[in-house]
Amino acid sequence: MFKRVLIANRGEIALRVQRTCRELGVETVAVYSESDRNALHVRNADAAVCIGPGPALESYLVIDKIIDAAKQTGTEAIHPGYGFLSENSDFADACEAAGITFIGPSGAAMQAMGDKVSARKLMEAAGVPVVPGANDIDFNDLETARSEADRIGFPLMVKASAGGGGRGIRLVQTAEGLEEGMRQAGSEAQSSFGNATIFLEKYVNPARHIEVQIMADAYGNVRAFGERECSIQRRHQKVLEEAPSIAVTPEIRQRLCDAATAAALSCGYRNAGTVEFLMDDSGEFYFLEMNARLQVEHPVTELVYGVDLVALQLAVANGEALPPQDGPLQPRGWSIEARINGENAYENFTPSLGLVEHVESPMGPGTRFDTMLFDGLDIPPFYDSLLGKLIVWAETRELAVQRLRRALDDLLIVGIDTNVPFHRQLLQHPDFRSGAFHTGWLEESFIMPAPPEDDPREQTALIAAAIASSLVDAAAPVASNEAGSSKWMRATREQAIGLRVQAGGGGWRHGIASS
Amino acid sequence: MAPRHRFQLNGETHNVIVDQHGGLTSFTIDDGEPVIADATLSGVPGLISMMIDGRPFRAYVTREGRDFRVTVGDRTFLIASAGGGKRGRSSVGGATDLPGTITAPLAGVLVERRVAVGDTIEEGQAVLVVEAMKMQNEIQTPHAGTVTAIHFEAGARVEKGAILLEYDPADQPAPV
Repeated sequence: MFKRVLIANRGEIALRVQRTCRELGVETVAVYSESDRNALHVRNADAAVCIGPGPALESYLVIDKIIDAAKQTGTEAIHPGYGFLSENSDFADACEAAGITFIGPSGAAMQAMGDKVSARKLMEAAGVPVVPGANDIDFNDLETARSEADRIGFPLMVKASAGGGGRGIRLVQTAEGLEEGMRQAGSEAQSSFGNATIFLEKYVNPARHIEVQIMADAYGNVRAFGERECSIQRRHQKVLEEAPSIAVTPEIRQRLCDAATAAALSCGYRNAGTVEFLMDDSGEFYFLEMNARLQVEHPVTELVYGVDLVALQLAVANGEALPPQDGPLQPRGWSIEARINGENAYENFTPSLGLVEHVESPMGPGTRFDTMLFDGLDIPPFYDSLLGKLIVWAETRELAVQRLRRALDDLLIVGIDTNVPFHRQLLQHPDFRSGAFHTGWLEESFIMPAPPEDDPREQTALIAAAIASSLVDAAAPVASNEAGSSKWMRATREQAIGLRVQAGGGGWRHGIASS
Repeated sequence: MAPRHRFQLNGETHNVIVDQHGGLTSFTIDDGEPVIADATLSGVPGLISMMIDGRPFRAYVTREGRDFRVTVGDRTFLIASAGGGKRGRSSVGGATDLPGTITAPLAGVLVERRVAVGDTIEEGQAVLVVEAMKMQNEIQTPHAGTVTAIHFEAGARVEKGAILLEYDPADQPAPV
């Protein structure tokens, strides 16, 4: 096994990879931007290298700085996590050129899969069903687009060939909207990815987003770890994932796994990957894209298949063969992941960041919280809003929903707003409970209710504010009288000093960020 | 005399009177019945746990200027100390600012300045862009006027509520 691995990432995923490394006795090297100096992934590492200012373009996305950090620390392998450079074939190639193992697929396989059009062509050749569509259209070539669109039929999707993360995608309802959709998708693709080639795809609606986790070694062995259900999305971002899917029967699962395996074999894929499919009401599915990395939502697969995917990634990258397997793998029980984001669920999910005053993490049976949070973390504005992932496992879907509700109740994050109120509402929704949802459901059919009026918690809050207000007065230079004061009042004279309660001051903010 | 606290919560004023009876403390909110709450501060700064009628409740309090942010479960209340001093700069910023200043409605990075000092601005015009969590948020002027100062360079990190831009408001049209 490797002696030392550099993790070219931050946040919860850097911590998640570190945990497996430490279990395997592998030393970890962290890289960090100046604004992540205080982050847990830095403190927990065996070595850490600062790679520049906060903006990712000047730090986590700079290949040379990360390769330098690896050389400087004697690192043998690099784990890219997800996002940032994880699907950048230049980075994979740069690692190889520097004699460092990249824990992921080869640059060539990544490129074949990274370009959506070349991936579509590979899949067609491998016999994997793809969404009816048209490849390789210049975004100025309206004539070709018109005739192809007539063949495919409306509504359809205009997509950037080099797209990702929900950008460079436009839904076009009618022939009249085609030109505008192409212009928008093309210019977004040009500015985001430097490539304005687009393709057209039939709009499969309603559709579920079903993806299959695969793992491939260097000897042509591919394992498919069943499906994940990722249809609960807002603005093309997943917010809650499950494994298995309520809509997937054992027969469909077998076909999905076979297709995903064929997809991986078609491009000489190695390491962990995810093959995404759209699935319609009848159980027909179409290849969407392949993600050449560990996914955010990988833990739900880990829990129902009893596997550590990061450990497998390390083993495969180290040249080991996947363990032999008799017959297809079967999921056990049910797992659900709720993405906990720093955003205000009551104010149209506007981002919320800043100082996290206090965190209480859910624990107990079947409960896992992968998070970067700790008391005193000042969340920088440069990165995405994911604070953590609350993942539960239980014997059945219904029990898993109950467990997730309990775990959400146990989760307390003070100082910033989160989407926890959204998740609580979602779990109660009859469509979610029955499984009657698709990728458009959340935005079309789910309405986030306003916070309750006459919330009984107001009383608790007002009493707490009165206590806090009294504490502030008690700590003021002119002290209140001692006689007859209650025990919390007496206690607080000392505690108030300990808490740095100052009349008119910054109050109980603690940690260096509050000065 | 029993301490009396005046708070504002969701636009309404509430009075909380704290009374001592021997070892017990009661809290009377507005015209309600007094509530006896046995409160303790746990080891965590800001966490207040209380027992009311045999039921445990807890709240986490932080201060924001003269105001309190109180988190109970998954709900956070902004409770302003009413009737004293200046209003905390806890408005949502941007479009709801008073004439003359534009504050940051959220913490983030000022990524774009679309106007310069001396420019005339119109009501509703997007003048600044603050990026947070990879999302761009346009900040619009609530009133027309002339820009007199912009306090941050592009690329600067700004806190929620920080004054980003100042302007001389144009004369308001008389209400019809």
